[in-house]
Amino acid sequence: MAELWDGFQEALRLILRGDANLRDIALRTVLVSGSATLLAMLVGVPVGYALARARFRGRTLVLGLVNTGMGMPPVVIGLIVWLMLVRSGPFGDLELIYTKRAMVTAQFIIAVPLVVGFTSAAVQSLPPQLPDLLASLGAGRLRSLWLLGREARLGLLAAIMAGFGAVVSEVGASMTVGGNLQGNTRVLTTAIVTETSRGQNDRAIALGIILFLMAFAVNLVLTMVQHRRLR
Amino acid sequence: MDVTFESVQFARDRWTVLDVPELRLRAGRVTALLGPNGAGKSTLLRLIAGLEAPTAGTVRIGERTVTGARQVRDLVAFSFQEPVFLTGSVRANLTLGLELRKVPRDAQAQRVGAAATALGITGLLRRNAHRLSGGEGQRVNLARALALRAPVTLLDEPLAGLDAPAQRQMLDDLPGLLAEFAPTTILVTHVREEAMRLADDLVVLMDGRVRAAGEMASVLRTPPDDETARFLGYTVLPAGNSTIAVPAWQLVPGVGTYTFQLAVRSVVDTGFGMEVAGTIAGETVRVAWVGAAPSPGEAVTVSWTRRG
Repeated sequence: MAELWDGFQEALRLILRGDANLRDIALRTVLVSGSATLLAMLVGVPVGYALARARFRGRTLVLGLVNTGMGMPPVVIGLIVWLMLVRSGPFGDLELIYTKRAMVTAQFIIAVPLVVGFTSAAVQSLPPQLPDLLASLGAGRLRSLWLLGREARLGLLAAIMAGFGAVVSEVGASMTVGGNLQGNTRVLTTAIVTETSRGQNDRAIALGIILFLMAFAVNLVLTMVQHRRLR
Repeated sequence: MDVTFESVQFARDRWTVLDVPELRLRAGRVTALLGPNGAGKSTLLRLIAGLEAPTAGTVRIGERTVTGARQVRDLVAFSFQEPVFLTGSVRANLTLGLELRKVPRDAQAQRVGAAATALGITGLLRRNAHRLSGGEGQRVNLARALALRAPVTLLDEPLAGLDAPAQRQMLDDLPGLLAEFAPTTILVTHVREEAMRLADDLVVLMDGRVRAAGEMASVLRTPPDDETARFLGYTVLPAGNSTIAVPAWQLVPGVGTYTFQLAVRSVVDTGFGMEVAGTIAGETVRVAWVGAAPSPGEAVTVSWTRRG
């Protein structure tokens, strides 16, 4: 308990002092996990919508794969991405291994099934007559999509929160494909592992508290948007 | 605007749901599409609204060929059987269609106000649309379609989901509402009495085919075949059977080969002719009566000439 309190005090000291190292790590975490979540949204929301609305042979199989992907351990995804990007791998020539791009790639793969799955569930929970109603009222394709998205906003924002929450808190994939290089690919989660292994528990706890506050701030904003009253 | 069907076929999974070689639904009339469940009534409505595309043939509203919902959005208002609303107030839901059709803002408020007043829902306008009772929801659903004041209004089972008192109220209110907001209306129902109360014209659909179409009284008086007559509430005696063994039945004058003596018990004006009730061999009989109605207590001869 004392260590936790020391960690909290250390976190406050680091934040108030404007520790440059900590700021870089925190910003890098936001950049990497934010980019991965954004890309996952761009791909996952349309795919999730299409999966919810379309009826095709093999749809159940695809949904099963998506649901499996939602529970895939990040370290396994990290391992697969590492095998793809390592110098001797099929994409080794791209020289992405141990870079932030590699971390974004791994985190994107972790987040996409979550965003697809949550989006698909959100759209499927809408009344099935809604698209016909909007079309008959005179909404075009884009306006219909926008209005349906607005109706499904609780689920869509939950999809984004789940995606961001998963990637900002994972450590295995970032460690494997990023290498935890100081000043380059170290993010909050890998930094916590490093500090713990060095016996710097108070600093590790401080980083943990900052990670928690960051996740809380992002989710608070999204929750406020989620529950904003609609006209 | 007239709605016309020319050689229209609609198939789903290689099964022909609808086959309408020719049909004209007249402008300025309320037309009821009457038929049992699965007859293709709602599909016919969806074809008019452009929500489904015919597998073959052409649907026209006035001179315009229907090729999609957006393309006829200025011509059609659709009230779906199940009221569905978007998140927001009742007013926002009523206004949405007018916004999408680019009706000027002043006119939007005026139209929503008029429809809400006519349907008695002005007190609900600020209410969350997801917190309406079944009856309230059905009225708001109808108001949303009527506020559009479209050249053609489509109502899919407008009385569905209402309890008996609310149905009676709506049956009383609807004719006036349609006359004011939707002079050309096509409504779907599977209840004959609803069709008789609300519509000028009647189209009987069975198994995806139009069995009868025309003015209400004409279709009701002369069903074209036994199956349609049965669906319209008549009991059809089998050919060659001269014994009345049906507990309660009705006869179609002009169809059949039988003559009965009927002791008249009551005479009721249905609005489409007289209905004479009496007894034959202890059984109650109701007869759609053509010509001067008899008086109760009188013994009359009923002739029934089978067709075909």
